[in-house]
Amino acid sequence: MIKAESIDFYYGEYHALKNISMQMEPNTVTALIGPSGCGKSTFLRLFNRMNDLIEGTRLEGKCWVDGVDIYDKSVDVDELRKRVGMVFQKPTPFPKSIFENVAYGLRVNGIKDKKFIAQRVEESLRGAALWDEVKDKLKKSAYELSGGQQQRLCIARSLAISPSVLLMDEPASALDPISTSKIEELIYSLKEHYTIVIVTHNMQQASRVSDKTGFFMLGELIEYNDTKKIFLNPAMEETQNYITGRFG
Amino acid sequence: MRMKRKKRAQWLAFALFRLLGVLVVALLIWILGFIVYQGIGVISWEFLTTGPTEGMTGGGIYPAIVGTLCLVVGSLVISFPLGVMAGIYTQEYAKKGKLVQFIRLMTNNLAGIPSIVMGLFGMTLFVNTLGFGDSILAGSLTLSLLVLPIIIRTTEEALASVPYAFRVGSYALGATKLQTIARVVLPQALPNIMTGLVLSVGRVSGETAPILFTVAAYFLPKLPTSILDPVMALPYHLYVLVTSGTDLEATRPMAYGTALVLIVLVLIVNLLAHGVRNRLGRKVKMN
Repeated sequence: MIKAESIDFYYGEYHALKNISMQMEPNTVTALIGPSGCGKSTFLRLFNRMNDLIEGTRLEGKCWVDGVDIYDKSVDVDELRKRVGMVFQKPTPFPKSIFENVAYGLRVNGIKDKKFIAQRVEESLRGAALWDEVKDKLKKSAYELSGGQQQRLCIARSLAISPSVLLMDEPASALDPISTSKIEELIYSLKEHYTIVIVTHNMQQASRVSDKTGFFMLGELIEYNDTKKIFLNPAMEETQNYITGRFG
Repeated sequence: MRMKRKKRAQWLAFALFRLLGVLVVALLIWILGFIVYQGIGVISWEFLTTGPTEGMTGGGIYPAIVGTLCLVVGSLVISFPLGVMAGIYTQEYAKKGKLVQFIRLMTNNLAGIPSIVMGLFGMTLFVNTLGFGDSILAGSLTLSLLVLPIIIRTTEEALASVPYAFRVGSYALGATKLQTIARVVLPQALPNIMTGLVLSVGRVSGETAPILFTVAAYFLPKLPTSILDPVMALPYHLYVLVTSGTDLEATRPMAYGTALVLIVLVLIVNLLAHGVRNRLGRKVKMN
């Protein structure tokens, strides 16, 4: 379970997130929607502390992942990122073989047992619905895969280190419709084991894959509820306007 | 009418550029051809494998070949790791700001120091103060100072050209910064870093001034036995043959022969480095 409490976030002077409290349940898919620049990606990156990489940012409030206050001084960021996987907008496989891409997270975390690594790689590739397509060419470069396959490889890469949370930042926005539907099916099946938070610009996608949806605007969380409720009968006028395409 | 004039201007401009391009290549071929023509006559197995005899009017240049190879290897062993590590620091670790700017400025200044001044400095510091004497060690250290800026710059540029997305992807999997650099960034940057190495080889093997007071022997027909021995070196030997031999007319062909060997040596090392670079490049893609 992940939780944010009274989050305020600043890029320098710019107030990017305003007093946001939100809780995401295990084994659910939570979609974050909203117009560009509304802060949804910034909010997503709080949970694996990716915002730490940007200079001049400031955070107020608290974030918990599985009951741990992740901005506490005692937290090891690298350890946190093992438990909170992330998939990016553009597939970014490393210039290594398919096998080594998935094994990377294990290797950097000090795992040397070859049998275990081989087993984890297979499990992860199966988990990301890619195994059947790549099992005969694990030694080949990851760049020989299509964009959609590369994105599933990146998902497999995240799964390999057994996270409990998966953050996805517009994971299908750079893909063609067929690859997109494969990713969506995958997200749906993954929620059995993971807490998933997905940022998306695609309303249909949010309504297809998510159980709960949060609507962000200008750094504020306008509405957060069951996806059905948000799309069929939103409480706020802004939400209604956005999902019906009146702006954004 | 206008159209025609524009076309003609374009034709003229391109013709000029083409001519200049051809001219550069022609000049290079002319220089190489001239040296080959003048020098090929003295090249023999004996010339390459024996030392100079008869007051340097006879014999070969074997000790100078060995000496230059020693200096190339010696200086790169020192400067390559130092330069690459310095480049990693300024590009990956140091906070962008005054300090890095200052280091960059100093690196560029280091590159701008005339090599004869570097030679003088090397003599003062390495030969005298540190007491290495005229030696391969002192010469290699001095040459290292000369190529350090090249290696630092090419390393920085090579690292900067690795897309940021790879780093972020690696951090997101719980890799530390060091792991990310060692396993993802460096392997990708390595082929380009090798470019710095190639440039350095050419520079080190051709420089005369920095080795003048730090290592090069005027006449020393025996091979070095330790890094504290002085050696002969091809560029300095060439200089000696042209300016201060006992019979300049008689040694002129040998000077061209020496020049030819020097050029071929640089060419071979460059090709080797190029081969390594290409293989690494392939590995980065395939691995």
